[in-house]
Parts: sequence; C-alpha cells; structure tokens
Amino acid sequence: MSTDTEGESLARREPDTARPEPERPYGYVVGSAPDGVERELSHDEFDPVGTLTLIFAYFVILVVMWVFMYFVEFLGRGLTVVG
Amino acid sequence: MEIHAYEKLWLGAALLLIVGFIGTVAFGAVGAGVDMIDDDGGTVDPGALDQHPKFGDPGVYQSGPNEYDVYVVAQQFQFQPGTAEAIEVPVDSTVTFHVTSADVIHGFEVVGTNANTMAIPGQVSTFTVETDEVRDHGIVCNEYCGSAHHAMEGTVKVVPDDEFNATDGGA
Amino acid sequence: MATFVDRYPEEASVVKACLTVAFVSLGIGAFFGLVQALHRTGVVRLFSSVDYYTVLTAHGVLLALVFTIFFLLGLFTWAITRSLERPLPNIRLTWAWVGLAQAGTVATAAAILAGFVPDIGVSADVLFTFYAPMKAHPLFYAGLAMFIVGTWLAGADWFLAYREWRKDNPDERIPLQTFMVLTTMLMWYLATIGVAVEVVVFLLPWSFGIVETVNPLLTRTLFWFFGHPVVYFWLMPAYLMWYTILPKLAGGRLFSDPLARVVFVLFLLLSTPVGIHHQYLDPGIAEGFKFIAMTNTMFLLLPSLLTAFTVVASMEHGARQRGGEGRLRWLGALPWRDPAFTGMALAGLMFAAGGFSGMINAGMNINYLIHNTLWVPGHFHLTVGTAVALTMMAGSYWLVPQLTGRKLYSRPIGLAQVVLWFVGMVFMSNAMHRAGLAGVPRRTAEPQYNSFDFTTTMGSIEELQLQIAVGGTLLFVSVVLFSFNMLASAIEDPVETPVDDRLPAPLSGADGSPRVLDNLRLWTAIAVVLVVLAYTLPLASIVQDAGLFGNVPGVPMLIGNFVESLAGVIA
Repeated sequence: MSTDTEGESLARREPDTARPEPERPYGYVVGSAPDGVERELSHDEFDPVGTLTLIFAYFVILVVMWVFMYFVEFLGRGLTVVG
Repeated sequence: MEIHAYEKLWLGAALLLIVGFIGTVAFGAVGAGVDMIDDDGGTVDPGALDQHPKFGDPGVYQSGPNEYDVYVVAQQFQFQPGTAEAIEVPVDSTVTFHVTSADVIHGFEVVGTNANTMAIPGQVSTFTVETDEVRDHGIVCNEYCGSAHHAMEGTVKVVPDDEFNATDGGA
Repeated sequence: MATFVDRYPEEASVVKACLTVAFVSLGIGAFFGLVQALHRTGVVRLFSSVDYYTVLTAHGVLLALVFTIFFLLGLFTWAITRSLERPLPNIRLTWAWVGLAQAGTVATAAAILAGFVPDIGVSADVLFTFYAPMKAHPLFYAGLAMFIVGTWLAGADWFLAYREWRKDNPDERIPLQTFMVLTTMLMWYLATIGVAVEVVVFLLPWSFGIVETVNPLLTRTLFWFFGHPVVYFWLMPAYLMWYTILPKLAGGRLFSDPLARVVFVLFLLLSTPVGIHHQYLDPGIAEGFKFIAMTNTMFLLLPSLLTAFTVVASMEHGARQRGGEGRLRWLGALPWRDPAFTGMALAGLMFAAGGFSGMINAGMNINYLIHNTLWVPGHFHLTVGTAVALTMMAGSYWLVPQLTGRKLYSRPIGLAQVVLWFVGMVFMSNAMHRAGLAGVPRRTAEPQYNSFDFTTTMGSIEELQLQIAVGGTLLFVSVVLFSFNMLASAIEDPVETPVDDRLPAPLSGADGSPRVLDNLRLWTAIAVVLVVLAYTLPLASIVQDAGLFGNVPGVPMLIGNFVESLAGVIA
C-alpha cells in the first residue's frame, strides 16, 4: 500500500531509533499498538477462530431477530394490506 | 489469492442469510398475501380533484356487500375525510383506501398497523385491508409536508355493523 | 521521520481545508441535533415548531452531506497522495474543486439558515431530500449543484493522479487505498447522474419559474437513484479506514487485500440499482420493480457481511500478535486505550446493529411496519451517524497529526469522546427504533396528537422520549469534546513525529489475486448495465403516466404559508 509495505519482512518491527521518544507524551499514544506486538503471525499461522465465533453469534442474532420482527411484529399486526 | 476456510464458510452463511430474507419476503407476498402499494391506482389531475367523481366528494362509498371504498385527499395540513370528521367503516368488512394529495407529498399511516402509504400529488395510492376489530385508529401524516406538518392527523373508526351509518364521512 | 505534512505540504493544506469545513459543519449540525432531540421530546423548546423544520433541514444537510462528504474529500486526497506516493498532478485544479465545493456549501447553507429570518424572503425548509413540489429558493439548488460539481472535479483530480502513476508503473497492481478511492468515485459518478438531472433539468428551472410544473414521482425517483448510493459514499471512507488503518491501530495487518477489492467492486456494481427500495410505499411503481430493487439490495448486504469478517479478523490478528489468547479472551489484548482504535471498533459494533435494522428496511413488505417512522432515523443514526461519523472522528485522532505535524492534545479526552458517542447513541437509537415500532413518525416537531395516543409493547413513550433527550445531549457533549480536542491540538508545538503513520502490508496481498479485479472499465460497464436494467422501465412508466414535467405546481416553503394554512385548518 505504501512506503513501508515491502512484503512480509520483519524489518518493519525493528526498534525505531529515529523516533524521538522524549517528545512523546506520557501514557498510551494513539497509533502505538504495533509497539506492543510480542510475536509476528503470518497468514498461515493465524486462524481467526475468535472472529468465526463472533460472526456466528451475530448470524444467530440476525436470524432470531428477523424471524421475530417478520412473523410477530409485522404479520401479527392488524390492518395488513391484502390487495 | 488465499481465502481462509472460515471466510469461505462465512461467505456461504451470508448468502444463505440473503436468500432467506428474500424467501421470507416472497412468502409474505404469496403465502401471507401481503400486497404492495403499486401502480394500480392510476393518476389524477391534482389541480382538478374537485371535478373527480370520487375525490370531488371524498369519503366512504359502499361498493358491495361488506365492501367499501374510502377516498381520501391529503393536503396541508389535513386529511379529507379523517381530520375534521373521522373515517368510519364497519367491522369485518373489506375496505379499499384510495389516497391522493392535493398539494405536496404527504404520508398516510394508520398508527400501529401495517396500513401505511405515501400520498403523492398526481398519483393514487390504492390498498385494501380487512377490518377485524372494533376500535379507533389514529392517522398521521408521516412525510414532512410543511410548517404545520406535526398538526396533520386524523382518525379511522372501525365500528360495529349496527352503528355504521353509510352517510357519515361521505357518500 | 517525516510525516505527511513534511512530504506533501500542499496536499496537507488541501486535506486540512476539507476537514475544517467538515468539523465546522459537524459542530453546527450537532448543535441543531441537540435542539431537535430536546424539542421533539418536549424537554426544551427553544424555537417555534415552525422553525423546527429549518433546524432539521440544516441538521440533515450539514451532517449528512457537508460533514461526511468534506471529510471524504480530505481523506481521499490524503489516501491517493500517500498510496501513490506522489503529489497531486495539478494543485491549482485541486484548490479549484475545494473552492467550488465550499462555495456551493455556503450558498446552500445560507439559503437554509435564511429561513430563520422571514424578512429576507429566502427559505429552503425542504429537508435534505427536497421532494418536489415543495419548493426551495433557487440558491439552495444552485449551491447543491456547485457542491456536486466540486466532487466530480475532485474525482477527476484523483483519476489524473492515478493516470500519472500508471505511466510510471505500467505493471503494478493499483495500490489498495487508491483502488478504494477510484471505485468509490466511479460509483459516485454513476449515482449523481440522478440528482444532477433532477436538479439541473427539473428543479432549478422550476424554482426560477422557467418551468411551471413538476412530476413529483419522477423527481422523487431521481432523488433516490442518488439517495441510496450516497449512503455508500458516506460509508466508503469509513470502510477505507476500517480496511487500511484499523488493522494497524489494532497492532495487526489487514487479513485479505483481494477480498477488500472484491467488496469495493461489489459496492460499485450494486449501490445504485437499489434506490427504489426507498419507494416501496410509493404509488405509480409496479410491485415487480420493487421486488427487483429488493433483490439487489439484499445482495448488497454481501459486501458488508464480508467486511465484518475481514475487519474483525484483522483486529483479532492484532490482538493475537499482542499476546491475546483464547476463543474470545483476545478481545482484552486490543488497544482499548487508543481512541482511534476504540472509536472505530465501537463504530463497527454499532454498524452491526444498524445492519439489522437496515435489513428490515430493505424487506419489501415488512417496510409497511416502519416506513417513515422514527425507526428509520434510528437506523441511519447507527449507520451514517455512528459507523461513519464516529469512524471519521476516531480516525481524525490518528490522521490530523499527520496533516499538522502536531500531536494530539489529549488522548484521554479523545477516549472519553468516542465512548460518550457510543453510549449516547445506544440510548438515542434504541429509543428511536422502538418508538418507530409504536408508529411515531419521523421528521416531525411534535409527535403528540389530539385524537390518539401511541402505545408501546414494552416501556412507555415517556421513557423513550427521555432516552432520546439524554442520548442526544450526550452526543452533543461528545462533539464539543471532539471540537475542543481538535482546536487544542492545532496550537500544540510542531514535533518531528506527531504520530506513528506507518501502515503495514496485508497478510494476504494483492499479488496472487486475479488481475481482472483491477479492471475498472469492466466493472463500470457492468454497473451501468445493472442501472439501465433496474431503472429504464420504472422511469419510462413514471414519465408515461404523468409526463416529463408533470402537472403539479410548486408549493414554496415559506413561513407566510403557515399562517394561512393554519387558518384553513381551523376554519
């Protein structure tokens, strides 16, 4: 995507000595999540099992809510347009 | 192009969801018999509604045994009939509404029900409902139509057969 | 380490000019939002209910059109420049479109706000959908037209930049951010044909009195030809940030570049031939056309559902790189103290909820249940009002330092701001959805009637009103905090590295994906064909029924009208 997108190289994570630490405010800094990286995971080493769990929970919520909204809230109401 | 197995699984589930939604709506149309507002109502000249055989004298018209037509003109900021006098229809009857507008775009929503349509000048919205319960319903204009839009309301009264007086509210 | 402003100072100025307009609009629009929330619910009524509609028009135009689109103009300028790694080809053209879009905005805003002073005789209380035959002052339409042309020129500028890059890089894949910008703009060119024809051919001549009448169904249909894809024009900047910035903020990498491309192509193809789903309850359009629009709309869920997976997986990747474990415990390893991350993540969560209410809106016959009720603004305050707006505000915490070379004034205030927005919107939109199910209409100054009461299945109307008022107040406080933080950041001292602006490469890159994905001509051609298929017959039948220019005269939206009309109602 850009200047620092050269492949899978781990070089991106090398300590960035050019960064002027003293100018940084104390505490957490916006955009500094990569500093907390403990390990590099490639595409093949990474199974998004948490994502799968979350997204199927969403799927179930969608189906239940849809059935409720359609068959109870909507078709259960009076004065439905029939012609 | 690597696509993770989980992502393929989700793609399948998403397609299933989409087809399920379309299927439900198709069931509602065919199985449950819910009809859409469409182009059946035809067009009218909004500048000459007073010369229209029905919109010229809007109200409730009996069209058959237990069948009624209700002609409603929406205009800033009232329904005619509906606002000054309630629309009155008998219970257990088939009622076809014909709604148009004399000026800007309005909405015609029987509150808390599925009877809900746009009223567009020049177009007639036609829809049929079955009245199955004696009760009063509110009507609101649910499309912004000008400075007193919030005052545009009305009433539909579903009354017992013996209380129904065909001369009320038109005809 | 230089950041964007050091590498591309001219472009940084352009982006700042766009974001400034966006944030000023956000501030004014949010204030009007607060006024409405308190007015509708009867808590405080600062204005008369007649002026409510002036406030509502300004709220809609300033937030839904000006804030979102000016942010887009800035973001896309940044994204094109950084991802092509070259300055824009002609900075004078760039400033020309900035100026044109700004001038159009000022004209439209002036026409609307003049409505507060009846003596001026200028008014545009027509809401942001400006349905004819409600008629606004010509300045309103002329300003809109200038604004739209400004966006067209912006797109042209970005395409020229891409062409220059292509000359030097004949065989490379289009950089992902550039790909997103270009597909979004192609969608926008196609979509704006509808509103351009509506305004230039019908409404502008009619507001000047050159044409006497309009065909209201035709102008309304042309509006929605544009009015649905415009929601994707709001959403695509958020998607661009979710795909290309959020993974980095989470400490991870984008899960899949090719799928991101597929998603943007699907939006280009399917965003426009769906507008009729806003007209399910319109007379004069056959049911078959409505069913086709619904089918297209439902398939338009696909790119968003795919996005949900890819974006969450990218976040999970970050969490696991940061040491996260377990099926769901990894959520705790995400950088929740970062307002840019947290804001975007919460925005995504709200979008999942908004997705559900959107599915109901899209269902052809179930639309009867909620059409034009408060449910609908409840829905779009989750989508454009949170998924888009909160992502833009959150993204600003990371983006703006790159444009100014100054660090963010306060991270904790930023964090409080995004959380406050989330909480406020939970209250407000939940209550709006439920009030909609009770039949409470949208777009009304006083949803309280003489002849009936609304009944709710759960809770009471008073409780819902309270939630709307409280939620609206929290949202306004959130915008105040945001504006304060941005202003305070602007007067920080410049530093060498105001923010870590590097973006990591995707886990699965573009290289292995089919090259046909980058064939913009092909996708544009298919998109045009789909629009022709979806719209030719409905438009032909609408014109056949009531004529091209119709037979309905205009109704000016002026305050003077009100007194007469009220007298009419009473008499």
